[in-house]
Amino acid sequence: MMDIRVTYMKLVRLLYHFIVPRESNNHRAKALHHDALFAYALLFMVFNLGLRVIHDTVPDVLGYATDIRVEQLLQDTNAKRAEKGLSQLVLSSSLSQAAADKADDMFTNNYWAHNSPAGKTPWDFIVQSGYSYTIAGENLAKNFQTSSGVTEAWMNSQTHKDNIIKPGYREVGFAVVNGTLLGEETTLVVQMFGTSSGQVAAIRQVEAKELVVKPIDVIPAESSLGVSAPSVRQTPLINIKILSREVAFIFIGLLMGIMAIDAYVISRRGVVRLVGHNVAHIVFLASMLAGSMFMLRGALG
Amino acid sequence: MKKEFMIHGSILCLILGSGVYMFYLMRGNIQTQMIVGISTTLAYICWGIIHHMMVGNLHKKIVIEYMLIGVIALVLMLTLSL
Repeated sequence: MMDIRVTYMKLVRLLYHFIVPRESNNHRAKALHHDALFAYALLFMVFNLGLRVIHDTVPDVLGYATDIRVEQLLQDTNAKRAEKGLSQLVLSSSLSQAAADKADDMFTNNYWAHNSPAGKTPWDFIVQSGYSYTIAGENLAKNFQTSSGVTEAWMNSQTHKDNIIKPGYREVGFAVVNGTLLGEETTLVVQMFGTSSGQVAAIRQVEAKELVVKPIDVIPAESSLGVSAPSVRQTPLINIKILSREVAFIFIGLLMGIMAIDAYVISRRGVVRLVGHNVAHIVFLASMLAGSMFMLRGALG
Repeated sequence: MKKEFMIHGSILCLILGSGVYMFYLMRGNIQTQMIVGISTTLAYICWGIIHHMMVGNLHKKIVIEYMLIGVIALVLMLTLSL
């Protein structure tokens, strides 16, 4: 019983030594000493490299959980149109082919834009696929984990929303492709809208997000609901994003907490010491954490 | 002294606020965001050194502390970019 009490007291003292500034740690929480900070940086680097190596070696165990399906994207897009009382879009194999070619071009030439560095526009891919359009549009998305996440993000962006709920469109094509884009492992989603007609030449009006031709009587191109467009579904044993995020948040939370305790105790005691500003460190780390949050989000184009 | 701290604090907030805003603006382009992160960290270290120099308590220990905090922030950013 006595041993347990002694051990407990030792543990408490150790904890105080690490967290609370006092004489034993030269009035600076031991967890904030240089050697401790250096150890954190080193441990985090090892953790980071370890995650990358394990992910490269066994992606099924430690990888990115993604479930983006073309059927779901089509369903969600049509649901949004239905809410506006618009006609349902039909999945077009030609537009899906154009979307797949665009995705392939983006990965091959490593760019994230509607127009390729070589000046190739979305419309070039559509024409190349054999689709004769009178009106067409393109939405891009990357780094989303679910189909609904993609559609919701598009709906939250006015220009992308405009494409989804444009009354003139009759058909749609999708490509969902995994690859490395701008140095980052990415699930890319390309959505191509179109209305085909071989009938009347129309006036073309190019906008930032789309090429629009005044709608005319439309004859839908050959299309099918059963196009086997590729989807991306991955369910690794451990989701690398969740693991890295949780470890980083817990660590930074603890570090900022110890800094806050250290600053509070020292200000109460009025101890003068030669160290950096804990409050500035906390604000800086919080800012970097906030900034890094934008690295987690999917992006639209 | 208090006024000096206020000015220095405001400058720090401006640096960090701009950094976060740049992160937001560059979303979708992870490589540019990395550059923003590195720039913000360097700016923070510079701020720390200049601030302590002006206050009159700049010491090698303090410079190392700011650098270590900067390194931790960068490694954290790299981890969150996974």
